[in-house]
Amino acid sequence: MDIKTIDHLCELSKLNFTDDEKQKVMEEMSAIIELMDTVKEIDLTYDDTKDNNSITYSEVRKDAAKPSYPTDRLLSNTEPQDNCYVVPKMVE
Amino acid sequence: MDITKVSLKELRKALDDKEISAAELAEEYIGRIKTADAEVESYITVTEEQAKIAAEQAQKLIDDNKAQPLTGIPLAIKDNICTDGIRTTCASKMLENFVPPYNATVIEKLNGQGYVLLGKTSMDEFAMGGSTQTAAFSKTKNPYDTGRVPGGSSGGSAAAVSAGLAPAALGSDTGGSIRQPSSFCGVTGLKPTYGRVSRYGLIAFASSLDQIGPIANSAEDCGILLNAVAGRDEHDATSAGVPVEDFNAKIGQSIKGMKIALPREFFGDSTDDEVKQAVTAAAKEYEKLGAELVDCSMSSLKYAVAAYYLISGAEAASNLSRFDGIKYGLRGEGRSFDEMIRDSRSRGFGAEVKRRILLGNYALSSGYYDAYYRKALALKQQIIKEYNDIYAQADVILTPTAPTVAYRIGEQETDPVKMYLADICTVTVNIASLPAISLPCGYNADGMPIGMSLVGKRFDEATLIQTADAYQRNFTVMPNKFRA
Repeated sequence: MDIKTIDHLCELSKLNFTDDEKQKVMEEMSAIIELMDTVKEIDLTYDDTKDNNSITYSEVRKDAAKPSYPTDRLLSNTEPQDNCYVVPKMVE
Repeated sequence: MDITKVSLKELRKALDDKEISAAELAEEYIGRIKTADAEVESYITVTEEQAKIAAEQAQKLIDDNKAQPLTGIPLAIKDNICTDGIRTTCASKMLENFVPPYNATVIEKLNGQGYVLLGKTSMDEFAMGGSTQTAAFSKTKNPYDTGRVPGGSSGGSAAAVSAGLAPAALGSDTGGSIRQPSSFCGVTGLKPTYGRVSRYGLIAFASSLDQIGPIANSAEDCGILLNAVAGRDEHDATSAGVPVEDFNAKIGQSIKGMKIALPREFFGDSTDDEVKQAVTAAAKEYEKLGAELVDCSMSSLKYAVAAYYLISGAEAASNLSRFDGIKYGLRGEGRSFDEMIRDSRSRGFGAEVKRRILLGNYALSSGYYDAYYRKALALKQQIIKEYNDIYAQADVILTPTAPTVAYRIGEQETDPVKMYLADICTVTVNIASLPAISLPCGYNADGMPIGMSLVGKRFDEATLIQTADAYQRNFTVMPNKFRA
C-alpha cells in the first residue's frame, strides 16, 4: 500500500484527504489489507454456477404502470429549481 | 404495573383489559426517555408528537376490539429504516437532515397493526461498526455501565430495550449488528434468515447480507415482532416467497432429543475464558433439558472475518456511491460536478465509512478482484458447505455471540483491525444467510452481560425461538440501574 494506490482508491471512491490524513489512511489500510491477505492462504476456487444459492429470488413484480411518488416530495431533500435537481456545470 | 418488567404479551393484555391506555403507555415511555436518555443516548430522534397521535389511533382499534398483537405497543426503530416524514439519518452527517418520502415495508407492516413509534435509535454510521461510537451523533452508552460501549451497529436499539426505554425495537444485522449489541446489553436479538424480512426502505450497506430483525426482552417477544414484519414483498426481489408461520408456535414444546452442535473453533483462544465458561454452562443446561450436545468443527472460521469484510466492503462501496450530494444528503461545494461530489462525500462520511469504501474499491479494482473478492466468494461457498455438513448431524448450533463482554469506550474502536476481528463469532451467519438469535446466558465478574447465539437452519426461526425460550424460562436476568 503506497500513496499512489491511496490516490487511485480516492479517485475510485470520490473522496478527498489532506496529505496528513492520507498518511494515516495508508497506515490503516496497510493493516487492514494484511488481515484481508489471509484469504490468500486457502486453496479454494469460486464456482460461478453455485452463485448465491443461499438466496431465494422471488418472482419479480409485473411491469405495470402505477402512480409515482409526488415530484415535490421526491425533491424535498434538495433545493430544486423548476422541478429539477441543480448541479454545477459538468462541461465548461 | 411496572412497564419495564412485563412482556409484550402482558402489555397486550393490559391494553386490552384497559388497565392502561395506549396514550398512557406511550407517555410512560416518553417520560422514561426524557429522564434516562440524556445518559444512555440511545435515541437520535424522539417522536413524542407522532407517538401521541398513533396512540390515539391505536386506542380506537383497541376500543373496537380490533387490536392486533402490536396495536398500541410502543417500539423503537433503528435510524437506517426509512420512516415517512420522520428524519432518518443513519447516524451520519451525510443524512443529518434527510426526511424520507416513504416508509420501509417493515414500517408499513407495523403501521398496519397500529404500533406506536417512540423514536429512531442510534447506530454506527451506516451500520458500519460494532460499538455505536462511529455515530456522528448520539454515541450510545451501555446501560449496564455507561463507561462502556453498547455494541453495534444496532447499539441504540439494544440499549433502549436494555434500559427500559422501549419494550422492543427493530435493528438490522449485516455481520452481527443485532446479535452483538444484544449480547453486550443483556437483551435478546434475532437476525432472521436472509429474505425472511423485506429490505425495502432499509438504507443499504451490504445488500447480500443485510437483514432487519427484532431486539427485545425475550425470544417470545422477538417472535411477536418477527410475526409482524416477515414475509414476501413485491418491492424486494430477495424477500423470499416462503410461507410465514407463527414463529412462536413451537414455544413450550420439549427440546428433548434436539441435537445442539458446538463448533470448537468458536471456543478458541480469541474468546475470553469467562465467555467460554458461561456458554459451556448454558450448553450443560440444554443437556439437562434433554438435548444432545454434538462436537463439530468449522475449519474455515479463521478466514471468515476477511471474507466478510471483502464482500461487505465491496457491496458498501457500490451502495454508497449513490451519496453524491445531489438528490439528497449533505451537499458540498465545488466549481465542477466532480469537485462537488468529492467534497460532499468527504464531509458527509465519517472515518470508518470511508475505510470501508476504500477497502471495497480496492477489492473490486483491476488486479485485485480475483485475489480478494472472488476468493471471498469462494470462502462464502465453503462456509455454506461447512454449515450444511454440521446441519446433517445437528438441529441448531450454539456459539458465543462475541469473544468478550462490552469493552470500555475508547479501548478498542480506534483500531479498525481489532474491531473487525471482534466480529468473528457472528459474520459466518450472514455469509451463509442463516437465522440466529442471541440471548443472555450469564454475567462476568463486573456484572456485564454475556451472550450466546443459537444458529438455525434457513427459515427455521421457530426452532430458534423454541430453543432460546426453553433456556430463558430458567434464566434470571440481572437488571441494570435503569430498570432496577
